Amino acid sequence: MLEVLDSRALRRTDCYGQRFMKAGTYRYHIVSPQADLITDERPFAIEVVGNELTAHMQQHTVIVRRDGGRFKPDQENVKIRAGDLVLWNCPDSALPYMIAGDKEFFSSYRLTNECGYSHAFGTSGEFHWIDAFGSKASGVVRVKNPDGKERADIERWRQTLAKGAIVMVTGDKAEPREIDIVMGQTVFFAVSKGPGISITDARLLRDSKR
Amino acid sequence: MPEITAAIDETGANKLLDTAIAQIGTQTKSGTGNLGPFVASYTVQGTLTNGSVDLIPPGTIRIVDLRLDWHIDLNFGIDLSAILPDFCLPQVCIDIPCVGTVCTPKICIDWPTITVPVSFGDFVKTTADFGLLISLSGGKWKVQAVIQGVPNLQFGASSAALLAAIGLAVTPLLLAIPFIGPFLAIAVDTILAAIAVAGVTGFLGPIITPFVSGIMIPIYEQPQLFRVLPAAGPVDPEVDITIDTIAADVAHNGNEDELVLTADISP
Repeated sequence: MLEVLDSRALRRTDCYGQRFMKAGTYRYHIVSPQADLITDERPFAIEVVGNELTAHMQQHTVIVRRDGGRFKPDQENVKIRAGDLVLWNCPDSALPYMIAGDKEFFSSYRLTNECGYSHAFGTSGEFHWIDAFGSKASGVVRVKNPDGKERADIERWRQTLAKGAIVMVTGDKAEPREIDIVMGQTVFFAVSKGPGISITDARLLRDSKR
Repeated sequence: MPEITAAIDETGANKLLDTAIAQIGTQTKSGTGNLGPFVASYTVQGTLTNGSVDLIPPGTIRIVDLRLDWHIDLNFGIDLSAILPDFCLPQVCIDIPCVGTVCTPKICIDWPTITVPVSFGDFVKTTADFGLLISLSGGKWKVQAVIQGVPNLQFGASSAALLAAIGLAVTPLLLAIPFIGPFLAIAVDTILAAIAVAGVTGFLGPIITPFVSGIMIPIYEQPQLFRVLPAAGPVDPEVDITIDTIAADVAHNGNEDELVLTADISP
């Protein structure tokens, strides 16, 4: 269990969120990263009704579990209204996974439109993230250790964990480009529009090139 | 009267046992043992060094400050989830401009199992009494000093030092685990408390003690049949003798205690 910042391979403290703007049925699978290339099977579905976007976006959370060696959502079919967001998280697997939809925009592997990736940072350090697909989108998350080691310090730190930070990514621009958080806090990378990017720790790409 | 008698005093016995114990060399053994609540695999090496010999009639060789230098490489797994409660990240809600609020679910983390390698060495000293064992096996006479009883080795200081070494080995492993940072001290303390000095002593005792409790020091070895004179020609064959019996004892002679070896021979 090591800190891995990579939206292409979701892990237990990661979430993938996707808004669905148009009515229709969007089928998907939950598989190991890139295993969507092996199978055309898309056994689960998001059914979007209504042609007008809702005034208030609703969130629908899908919890993914490991079941007999496969990833399985707690709801195989989710019915939502146009403009709603579905968010996936798999809390019980150390194995990485991806949400593989049947449309180009619908994939956690490559974040395209109206979607997001959240990551809770469990270790301190400076995380330079880049787009593994080659765009210029990039940024820095500085994660510092909590102050103090006394009981009160730890309790104070735990209270800060409910507070997250947001990075908006439009095209290849990230705003803010640099953020500072405390270990344990969550950053939500919201991708409003883009060519299909990833949020990937630059060290992972350097390592893979060696 | 025996036909051959050899005797050495304590100074001689010291020299003899210095050499004999050094010849035993470094012994190695591997296995698994209980380190508190954890199961550890280990490889341990032990090397004995002679202390000060005291010959005590009848029949006892006492070695004061017999020293055993030992080194252990051990590995054990700690399922952190078994000793620490799960840690849960609370729900985090974030306002996305022009979109709305997105909330992550509460996410609980079960801690992983870590493997801890520890390398540690120390020594123990003990006073041990040895008896004399004479045997004829495979055409060879052997006289060995055999330890009497199981010595009580004291591991108190070693145990505390090994426990500290475990703490040092565990710390960097824990630091690499996400979210454990603020709980590092709690985790280390919990692990060390689970093992405790008693756990280390209970681990070391059965592993290290056999290096001493099973000790047999070779003092004398001789083929039962051996050549006294080589053949000098076709009409002058070699001369062999047979050692019929060997006896060994610690005896008092005059002002001195001596290690005495006697033998009866026949042509």
